[in-house]
Amino acid sequence: MGRGLSRVAAVAANTFRETVRERVLYNLVFFAILMTASGLLLGQLSIRQDEKILIDIGLGAIDLFGTLIAVFIGVGLVSKEIERRSLYPLLAKPLSRGELFLGKFAGLVFTLLVNVAVMMAGLYATLAATGRGVEPRLLAAAYATLLGLVLVVAIAMLFSTVTSSVLASVLSVGVVVAGRFSDVVRHMGEVLPGAPRWLSEVLYAVIPNFQNFDFKDRVAYGDPVPASVLAWVTVYAAAYVTVVLAVGLASFQSRDFQ
Amino acid sequence: MKRRWAGAIVAVVFPLVPWSQSRIDTDVGEFRAQQEVLYLWSGDHVKRLFPGFEGLAADVYWLRTVQYFGGTRLYARDKSFELLRPLIEITTTLDPRLEIAYRYGAVFLSERPPIGAGRPREGIEVLSRGAARNPDSWRLRQELGFFHFLYLHDAHRAAAVLEEASTIPGAAFWLRTFAASLLAQGGDREASRRMWRQMFEQAEAGILKENARLQLRILDARDAADDLTAAVAEFERRHGRRPERLDELVRGGVWRGPLADTAGVPFHYDGQTGRVTVATESPLWRPR
Amino acid sequence: MEEAPLVVRGLTKSYRVGHIRQSLRPALTDLDLDVRAGEILGYVGPNGSGKTTTLKLLTGLLRPDRGEARFFGLALGARAWRHRVGYLPEHPYLYDYLTPVEYLDYVGRLFGMSAARRRERTRELLALVGLERASGTPMRRFSKGMMQRAGLAQALVNDPDLLLLDEPMSGLDPLGRRLVRNLILELRRAGKTVLFSTHILSDAETLCDRVAVLRAGRLLSVGTLGEILHPDVAHLEVLVGGVGEGLGAVGGVVRQEAVGERTRLEVEEGALGRVIGAVEATGGRVLSVLPVRQSLEDYFVSEMAGSGGGADAWGEG
Repeated sequence: MGRGLSRVAAVAANTFRETVRERVLYNLVFFAILMTASGLLLGQLSIRQDEKILIDIGLGAIDLFGTLIAVFIGVGLVSKEIERRSLYPLLAKPLSRGELFLGKFAGLVFTLLVNVAVMMAGLYATLAATGRGVEPRLLAAAYATLLGLVLVVAIAMLFSTVTSSVLASVLSVGVVVAGRFSDVVRHMGEVLPGAPRWLSEVLYAVIPNFQNFDFKDRVAYGDPVPASVLAWVTVYAAAYVTVVLAVGLASFQSRDFQ
Repeated sequence: MKRRWAGAIVAVVFPLVPWSQSRIDTDVGEFRAQQEVLYLWSGDHVKRLFPGFEGLAADVYWLRTVQYFGGTRLYARDKSFELLRPLIEITTTLDPRLEIAYRYGAVFLSERPPIGAGRPREGIEVLSRGAARNPDSWRLRQELGFFHFLYLHDAHRAAAVLEEASTIPGAAFWLRTFAASLLAQGGDREASRRMWRQMFEQAEAGILKENARLQLRILDARDAADDLTAAVAEFERRHGRRPERLDELVRGGVWRGPLADTAGVPFHYDGQTGRVTVATESPLWRPR
Repeated sequence: MEEAPLVVRGLTKSYRVGHIRQSLRPALTDLDLDVRAGEILGYVGPNGSGKTTTLKLLTGLLRPDRGEARFFGLALGARAWRHRVGYLPEHPYLYDYLTPVEYLDYVGRLFGMSAARRRERTRELLALVGLERASGTPMRRFSKGMMQRAGLAQALVNDPDLLLLDEPMSGLDPLGRRLVRNLILELRRAGKTVLFSTHILSDAETLCDRVAVLRAGRLLSVGTLGEILHPDVAHLEVLVGGVGEGLGAVGGVVRQEAVGERTRLEVEEGALGRVIGAVEATGGRVLSVLPVRQSLEDYFVSEMAGSGGGADAWGEG
């Protein structure tokens, strides 16, 4: 078991190294530019609105950049390996497919963690530099966003085990977008009178509800995020990620690499 | 072999998903996505965000409006009407031809609390805007006319609007006679009943139809109260005194119907004046 | 008594082809093979005969339809034998954003080797395959030949007792080919076992102790060259000088070819005497006589032609 974990760790470390070498973390540079520009340009508006806009932009960018990374790198983790066949020499080693899969997942999650952490530091720095308060509750929003990103990675990896990288990317983006409109899915009977109720219920349960991870507005308005809600959101994320990874793993395990 | 494991994990863990979801929904509320509307976004701002997809965006906003205010929560007290106006404005800016949005906004802005915001002028303004943007819509004008009468008690203005509506090609044939009868009769209640009846028939199943049905019940309750008042007078004529309580009317043979309104709340009887009215605690009560 | 490095029984695999209406295309059928310890076994066959499929089945990239294989007595699904086996895939692709040192270190971690051991082993291997000077270069800048050598290095990290090589010479220049050949021979000297697949028959002829021949997914024959090929002399190659045309008419001369001022004759075995007489009669000189045995290529061509495979067998696959 210890050997297995150290192999998973080796894969995770290499995956992190890959994302760094593939210049994924350069998105942080864009973020820094965005933050600086926003901080400077918004000096004219009133203080309260200023802060909200800054937080909105910062948290929004963390969400958006994180999602893009999670989808496109996540899909590539498996698809690229299969398409380029860099998988082949590795699978002949005493490395099981499951260890490879989980190691890659862990590596990308770690990358996202670093990404979100650096961005939050940048956001706080901008807030402080423009004379606003440093609010700990922003971390709650960042944490929730990160949970959502972990789920996106799992979904992207699942799709990439069953189909090509292009299709997997499209499907992943589709699921993420649908998940952000979960309220529409749930109440689709209002705009589509013909839609049967059981269909919206089933779709609502199955499509991951990405609105669960969105506390940006709350924290931007200064409302607290209760710990109990964060706990439930964590449970939701953990459960969903487990399910998706299990299916992805099973799919990856049984594949033939022709 | 791994397939079986995966299946087991899915079967065991997946139920946690809807379970935790329902807890989240309870704690946070189902309609979190609304607050952003209050902040800065006017209809035009929002419209610029969705070039090419205005119709779809209108649907989404419409959906959120309906979720927030409606469904079966006609009597709910915790709705915030601050969001209604902006939501309606955004929806109708995105899709100026979404008639039902104007109608909806008008009803819930005009109606008294707790059902609505109690701001009939705003409601009428919404309908006016809708009518202005949809010159072919006789229905919007019909309702605009009705609302002038029902909420602002302005029979002249109502008649004028209905007249105008009747000139639109395709308008219902009875609009003109309606307008005429408005001016001819003074009877508020009869005209009101006819208007609500019309709107009830025209509405699709849903909240607007329910509201019209409610209004008709309110009128029915008043009619019943008036009938009871007449029964009291009859009782007095026969027995030489006013009844102490309403059930005496039944025993006295002057009344055979129920003594409560259709919401189950007993009518209020003022022994001094002999008048029967709808009880103030009844959901069917309305101030005159 | 140590278990055999590899024993295969009844290994079978078919692929599904087509998107709407699927059919099964058999890639490998009922393979039985024994690899003996310390030998170099050549695995030859035309493209599409199932060589790569076999290696993928053995390394777990494909799941067999039926059959089994045992590495050192351990079942195909066991993990333990992977510590004793090395695999070089065809056209290996290693992570191009890593240097060879980093890649070999990564592989070493997968084997659970200590950091010190990994450093040492990486140095050894890069020297062995001749990549020391490129040790710090990201592999995206490697030529095909360099990548091939890096691939060999990663197959050797764990000092395996059995090596599975899929077209190890492909993409290499003559220097590279020699390096690989010597490496393989060196491995045998060290007591390792090597199974390598190739479609370059001359490599198989010169390197292998035994050869397994595959055709259309089935094992045609396996054994030493002596066992497979026709033992008898196929024909004699006679080099003569100073003769004109006309010798073609002599019975037993299969072919006549001018080589500069000389002529090379392909002569059936029994006709040697008659041909020599004819040559001398026309005033020519016999310069040399060489017996030629059936080459592996001859064997191939005849087998493929005989089965009706012919050009198809060497074509798409």
